[in-house]
Amino acid sequence: MDPFLTSRIVSDILGGLTNGVTYGMVALSLVLIWRSTGILNFAQGAMPMFATYIGFVVFKGHLDYWACVGISVLAAATIGGLTERFLVRGLYGKPEINPIVVMVGFLIVLEAVAAGIWSTTPQSLPNPFSAFDWHLAGKPLALSPFTLYEIITALIVMIAVAALFRFTKLGLQLRASAMAPEVSRLLGVRVGRLLTLGWILATVVGVITTILVSGGGFFSGLTPQVMDGIFAYGFIAAAIGGLESPVGAIVAGVVLGVVNQFVEAYVNQNAVIIIALALLVVSLMIRPSGVFTKSTQRRV
Amino acid sequence: MNLAWTRRRTPIAVALALVTTVAILNVATPRRGIALSLSIDVAIACLVALSLSSFRTSHPVVSRAALTLLGLDVALFITFFLGSSTNFNLATGASMSIVLLGLSFLTGASGQISLGNGAFMGVGAFVMAVWANHHATTPIVVTLLIAVVSGALVGLLLGLPATRLRGPYLAGMTLAFAVAFIFILNSFSSWTGGDSGLQLPTAATAPRWFDGFFHVGTSPLATTTLYLTDFTLVVAGVAFFFMANLFASRTGRTMRLVRDNDVAAELVGISLPRARVTAFVVSAGYAALGGALLTLIDNSASPPTYSFALSVTILSLIVIGGIGTIPGAIIGGIIYAFSVNVISWITTQSGLNPQGNFASQLNGIIFGGLLILTMLFAPFGLAGAARLMWHRVRARRPG
Repeated sequence: MDPFLTSRIVSDILGGLTNGVTYGMVALSLVLIWRSTGILNFAQGAMPMFATYIGFVVFKGHLDYWACVGISVLAAATIGGLTERFLVRGLYGKPEINPIVVMVGFLIVLEAVAAGIWSTTPQSLPNPFSAFDWHLAGKPLALSPFTLYEIITALIVMIAVAALFRFTKLGLQLRASAMAPEVSRLLGVRVGRLLTLGWILATVVGVITTILVSGGGFFSGLTPQVMDGIFAYGFIAAAIGGLESPVGAIVAGVVLGVVNQFVEAYVNQNAVIIIALALLVVSLMIRPSGVFTKSTQRRV
Repeated sequence: MNLAWTRRRTPIAVALALVTTVAILNVATPRRGIALSLSIDVAIACLVALSLSSFRTSHPVVSRAALTLLGLDVALFITFFLGSSTNFNLATGASMSIVLLGLSFLTGASGQISLGNGAFMGVGAFVMAVWANHHATTPIVVTLLIAVVSGALVGLLLGLPATRLRGPYLAGMTLAFAVAFIFILNSFSSWTGGDSGLQLPTAATAPRWFDGFFHVGTSPLATTTLYLTDFTLVVAGVAFFFMANLFASRTGRTMRLVRDNDVAAELVGISLPRARVTAFVVSAGYAALGGALLTLIDNSASPPTYSFALSVTILSLIVIGGIGTIPGAIIGGIIYAFSVNVISWITTQSGLNPQGNFASQLNGIIFGGLLILTMLFAPFGLAGAARLMWHRVRARRPG
């Protein structure tokens, strides 16, 4: 095989992986909230966006990168918890459009308020690692210290969430209160608190994604709408993988990232979201409840 | 016998009085006022038909037509006295209210929601513009129908997979479509004119009979605005009439059962996917009609209009107006027509810097905030709140 083509394909795969892990993380945070509270959170991009502004723009120039990350995570946890407690709590058991509408409203308000305070000009984030690509045999590889940091962080977050659910008592309680809230309550699980915790967890996963997405590159930066497109891809990934399955969401996100990269490189940029949408339509036609979920029966 | 005569006397007296009024009106008005007297005649006829409760129950379709005609009559009458800029706003609001009506039907009838109706509007707007640029001689009404059918077909394509599922898949998928729409337009930029969009080849002008009949006597531009406004209002009237009948028809009842209890609906032999897809296709077609009318009014279609923000605006308007209701669509349309004026008024009143960040974001803050508050405290919007108040007043009244 032509060495130039090989290196190009390797570059595309690496670039696709970097995008893919961010889609996977957004998809994961959507699945976390969907599984525990049955709500598709349309503000899942906007809530972390706001927290990132608090962490990075308010303290710009005063604190170093890692302290800003810490403040952003704290802000995200607060926003996630408060949102569940005061905005979402009253919506459980209502018709399914009510939470959708409220969360879309929250999305608009957050983006408008952020643009009102901090304007829509992109804010650059400090870089903890160099964003210059490594070279392999004299050619750029589409892999820089920053993108490596991006991929590794995403992997750590995903493994941590999986471990939390599978191996800890807290994770067991989270799963129990999502699957059978009444029974869990009778057995002494404080379901209300765990739902709040689920939202906090999802928003923290979201804020890490937002920090990774808006940092690093030369053309990227933090804007109020920074997560809009990524949210759309994250939803597509979550729907293809199945809203019930965290693993499915992550895998679908990564695959979607690679596919997008190839479409962008070999077709054109406009086709990226069109192909993604077509993939969603086709996959929903073939496997309506997702590639990675077993079909379930509904009890009446 | 005496009693029977008394009972019959009142309606006869009323009818005589009406006929006399109409006759005097028509004789007394000079030729210039013929449109005026005609509109009053129509209003009287419709009011009479609607005031008879036995007629309302025995001829529901005719009385719905009478109600539409009455509303249309009043609206057209008002446009005659308004300035061009207000009329232009009103026309925009009327085409938006058609879009809102479609979304209201989707939610009110099937319990689902779409975040992509702005994109379906875009489909209608661009089909209208592209068709008019290639076949300039096609009558406007036919072009509008083509736009509606195209919108409905795109709706079918997206709705088929998503409506088979429970949960918010349809909402998410329509969101993805709304985000993708601008890129879709860009991919076909040789047809859709790229970033600058498309102009209609010939600007719509008022036909001669319109000028003669109404004796507008204003500048040709103002006459054309009036004509376009009235045309949009008439199309909106027809759309509302169809929708009112659809809500009340067997299809409408089927869909409400699907919304309220899908298990029961399946047990009586209703196909859930078919009912949901039907509702979605109707809403997409209505959105396309609204978009096509907007192209006609603006004389052009530009891609940035049909961004995701428009879909969100549509959702806000119908929720604030009253989702699932027909009056909600009218209220939402009126809000849309005058929202720009109201928001700039708020900006000047509150002393915000008009060029500042907050002033430019005020639209989003107000609409988003109202969206949340309405859904939390009055889920059926202004129309629902008004209906509730009406019922309370009636309950308090003795008898």
